[in-house]
Amino acid sequence: MTTLLVLLLLIAGAYFVAVLEAWISNGRFRLAAPLYATIALLGRESIVPRKPDRIFFEVGPVLLLLSALLAATVIPLTPDLIITELATGALFINAALVYVLVALLMAGWGPDGAYAMIGGWRFLGQLIAYAMLIVMPITAVAMRAESLLSTQIVVSQLGLWNIIYQPLGFVLFFVASMALAFLPPFDMMIAKGELAGGVEAEYTGARLAVFRLGRLVLIITLASATAIFYLGGWQGPWLPPWAWSAIKILVVTATMLLAGRYMPRIREAHLLSWCWMLGIPLALINILIVGILVLEFP
Amino acid sequence: MMTAQMFFIAFFGLAAVWFGIVVFRTFSMVRSALALLFSQTALGAMFLSMQAEFLGVLQIMMMATEMSIMAIFMVMFMMDPGGLGEMEMTHQKRLSLVTGFVSFVAAVMIAVFVDWGPMANTFPDAAQQTVDLGLELLGRSMLIFEMAGITILTAMIAATAVAIQPAKKVSQ
Repeated sequence: MTTLLVLLLLIAGAYFVAVLEAWISNGRFRLAAPLYATIALLGRESIVPRKPDRIFFEVGPVLLLLSALLAATVIPLTPDLIITELATGALFINAALVYVLVALLMAGWGPDGAYAMIGGWRFLGQLIAYAMLIVMPITAVAMRAESLLSTQIVVSQLGLWNIIYQPLGFVLFFVASMALAFLPPFDMMIAKGELAGGVEAEYTGARLAVFRLGRLVLIITLASATAIFYLGGWQGPWLPPWAWSAIKILVVTATMLLAGRYMPRIREAHLLSWCWMLGIPLALINILIVGILVLEFP
Repeated sequence: MMTAQMFFIAFFGLAAVWFGIVVFRTFSMVRSALALLFSQTALGAMFLSMQAEFLGVLQIMMMATEMSIMAIFMVMFMMDPGGLGEMEMTHQKRLSLVTGFVSFVAAVMIAVFVDWGPMANTFPDAAQQTVDLGLELLGRSMLIFEMAGITILTAMIAATAVAIQPAKKVSQ
């Protein structure tokens, strides 16, 4: 029952992201547009390119959706609304999301097309840039909670949210999750207007629909993860817990989409040097500061 | 419970072996690398079936990145990365056959003849396991892990230093 409810909420969230993304990128607010787009995609023929690596070509979009869904299973929307409570929850989110990379490599390699392949390998370069900036801030979050349980992490922020307790970690995690969800300005692997869709280029019809759904679910999953790691999850005054979760997730999603709107696209090599020369030292400093805070002001 | 556990351990074990075989059956470098990834993921799933949650999740997480990075190196350095030319890329077959067979026999001997001690009836829950593992890593085993870490780091720096071409002197 919980599983079904969370899945429905994720689909609703993905729909919302699609509406919001269109609103932010082309300025038109149309509630029904994703519905029409879905019907159009499902109605079109799904072309298989010549000489594909058939297994990768078929598995790629499904794996993208699957890894985003798996990461969502350990995210608590209210104290009770969580699919499975894992003792390694915070680590599991990251473990599931690493398979986004595998999915994009498969989708890039599978169709045997130059643009798609370049897109796929670009994402590998991007992963090497952002991966540490996902793990290290989570480490600091888990340090404060003294647990990897995702509900425990939310409870540990009672009174003071992590965005205030460790703002440095929040900024790093926020940027890294935008890179993980290949949102603009980190969308070199899709790169509309340059790579002709990149990883998406050879997909059409139902397969493309699955791929795009996977990306939308990924965005909403990452926004939920940000909300429970840094914004106190379901906590807040007056309103019921589910409402606070919803508000926070929507605000984070909107911020992610808006932030990308006003920035130039960043090449993965530049991202790599920024992340390793600035990001990782900052993440280590964040761990040090949080360690001192945890020991001194428990 | 016990039979379900045995079933899943056996299932993922066989999956790991099968993907291990696929690594050598395919000509495509990317398929080969990702088959190795799924072999390792199946090992991680075996850890999960054995209720070693932290180890399982860690294995599943680490291998995805490592094998994907290996894939790009295999594509860069092999002559026929797509495997479409069906080019022969194996070598030293007799040596590898012998080594493989000897290691297999050794592994089986170890599994059968070593006295593994009595089977544990009680074990800590997953959260306690994580705590215990942390205390172990930062206590008794710290020296070993630090040594291993520094050795790997040295090897990485050395490998990079060897791989970089020396800068050519610009002749006027």
